[in-house]
Amino acid sequence: MTATAPLPSDVAASHAHTGAVLEAQGLTRRFGSFTALHPLDLAIAPGEVFCLLGANGAGKSTTINLFLNFIEPSGGRALIEGLDVTQHPLETKRYVAYIPETVMLYKNLSGIENLDYFASLATGRRHERDELLQFLLQAGLQVDAVDKRVGGYSKGMRQKVGIAIALAKRARALLLDEPTSGLDPKASNEFSELLAMLREQGAAILMATHDLFRAKESGTRVGIMKHGHLVQTLSTADIGHADLERLYLEHMRD
Amino acid sequence: MIARIAAKEFTDTLRDGRFRWSALIVVTLLVAALGAGVRHYREVSAQHARAAETMREFWVNQPAKNPHSAAHYGLWAFKPRTLLSLVDQGVDPYVGVAAYLEAHKQNEFQFRPAMDATATQRFGQWTAATIMQLLLPLLIIVLAFPAFAGEREQGTLRQLLSLGVRPSALAAGKALGVAAALGVLVVPAAFLGAAALVLAANEGGVGEEWPRILLMGATYLAYFAIFVAVALAVSARTRSSRVALLVLLGFWALNSLVAPRALSDVARRVHPTPSAFQFVTALDADLKKGLDGYSPDERIAALREATLAKYGVRTVDSLPINFDAIAMQASEEDGNKVFDKHYGALYDAYARQNGVRQLGAVVAPLLAVRDLSMGLAGTDVEHHRAFATAAEQYRRMLVKRMNDAMAENSRTGDWGWKADPSLWREVPPFAFEGPPVTQALAAHGTSLWLLGGWLVLAALSLLRTRILRPE
Repeated sequence: MTATAPLPSDVAASHAHTGAVLEAQGLTRRFGSFTALHPLDLAIAPGEVFCLLGANGAGKSTTINLFLNFIEPSGGRALIEGLDVTQHPLETKRYVAYIPETVMLYKNLSGIENLDYFASLATGRRHERDELLQFLLQAGLQVDAVDKRVGGYSKGMRQKVGIAIALAKRARALLLDEPTSGLDPKASNEFSELLAMLREQGAAILMATHDLFRAKESGTRVGIMKHGHLVQTLSTADIGHADLERLYLEHMRD
Repeated sequence: MIARIAAKEFTDTLRDGRFRWSALIVVTLLVAALGAGVRHYREVSAQHARAAETMREFWVNQPAKNPHSAAHYGLWAFKPRTLLSLVDQGVDPYVGVAAYLEAHKQNEFQFRPAMDATATQRFGQWTAATIMQLLLPLLIIVLAFPAFAGEREQGTLRQLLSLGVRPSALAAGKALGVAAALGVLVVPAAFLGAAALVLAANEGGVGEEWPRILLMGATYLAYFAIFVAVALAVSARTRSSRVALLVLLGFWALNSLVAPRALSDVARRVHPTPSAFQFVTALDADLKKGLDGYSPDERIAALREATLAKYGVRTVDSLPINFDAIAMQASEEDGNKVFDKHYGALYDAYARQNGVRQLGAVVAPLLAVRDLSMGLAGTDVEHHRAFATAAEQYRRMLVKRMNDAMAENSRTGDWGWKADPSLWREVPPFAFEGPPVTQALAAHGTSLWLLGGWLVLAALSLLRTRILRPE
């Protein structure tokens, strides 16, 4: 199939079938003879926060890159709102917001100018200053930092701008790559609150992280990845902090 | 979306310290070059005008004398500087500025400004043209090399692509943004340039020169656009911004330093011109021998027979006209044919060399711009040839007038006869009007086409960057 506008039946069919916003069906990625991701099946519904746990190189970032169509799958497919990301590359990106480990912004522009730029590119229209300000405050950025150049922002502040972009986009899905790495406990806690807010708004969230504590705190489900395999999936409600850690370490042994 | 991207690129660039400094330097140099150009132009134009007036006075105020003596007295013809030569001096420093017009000889142009130049000036004058041809592309490279590669390194490219921005829209937006930032520099400079031209223009003002000025502006704009597109296209495709910079600097060096030299050598090899010595030797040989195999003496004998027959007399003394004058005019015309042959071949060879150089624009757009710029400024070899031809026509007209006056009003052998001074005034003063701009464009057609080709290709290559790898 060539890249065309999605037929209502495409969206309705997959969506009605699984109700999932983010879906991987046998999603596979190989680099030559090395398999970075073995066939992955995953479905994340609105309001769910799915945390991918695993060591570096386990396949977490690969999964996210596949959803973003930054790399081509070697097999299977990744779907956003029922649309195959390789066949509807621009359309699917409209539904999803991506927040990488370090949110990179243009250092010569201020926080609100950066938001203005990215938001207008994402939504296709200009936003009033008040609207933008509201997004930034909702995301937790202090009001006096809004007009300062982002060259001086901390990591947490940049992340808040990233979240503001997601809010402006009214993204139905979020892809987060190591969002709390490098954040101090307070900033990490603020991030949890933001995740909760986004959950309530009905977003489906896939979060790759090392942070077991945050995964248990904010996640609804966790999946443990090892060498490109999703070895176990469970609900966070069914396990305590200490047990989660024990389980994780057990899988990581050998 | 493109406008949005362009607006942000524009703001971002203007706030960049790097841009501010390099822009300041380039603008300062441009202003200095324009100022120097204006001053030089006015000085030299005034000098030439004064000299021409003085020549005319000398000529007109000659006392009564034999017209042929007057033809030998001759006068100097000064090549006028074109208005746009204050922007682009072209070949002017290397060809002479004045030729001595006299009987029997077609003289070389004398007084080449390059001969008086210091060692550093030999590297080329810093005119507005050289700054625009060499420095501005460098500025563009410095501005544009991190456009994609830098964003990729920074991580903002990932951010943009994750939003679903089309790579071609991003490319177009960046190109417009960089162009707008450059515009902040170029537009005031263009106004300054126009002001300089108006300031420098003597009576008559700038009026007729507007087509040339506008075309020259368009040429340079196309050149800058090419560099913007090439810089962005390279930045989109290289692994890192450092590699992008290296590649672009390599291209700049090839374009500005290597290609001109190499093409000049190739042109000279393919269409060689004789050395000065060879030229003069061949010319003299033909003058002595005569073009059609008859020596001058043989020709004069034949002419005498024909003239005697024409007037139906037996001896030269019985002729109603002065045979010496007729003989001199005939040998003058024979000599002119020889000059036409040799100078014609020389200028034709120059034209063919230029053709080869123009083809070099396939690799280096600078060659096309340099060529067009000189052509439009009227400082190329074609323009010089037009002036040389006009001066030569004037010389022939002058000598013929003198010889005719002598032939009609005196008898053979009467070398003491003096013409009335009013004869001098009958010869109109020498005036030269340059060829029209359409002729200049026709002579540089290849450059025009190749410049256009570069622009189209560069733009296409930029807009077709479909794959922008996020890392």
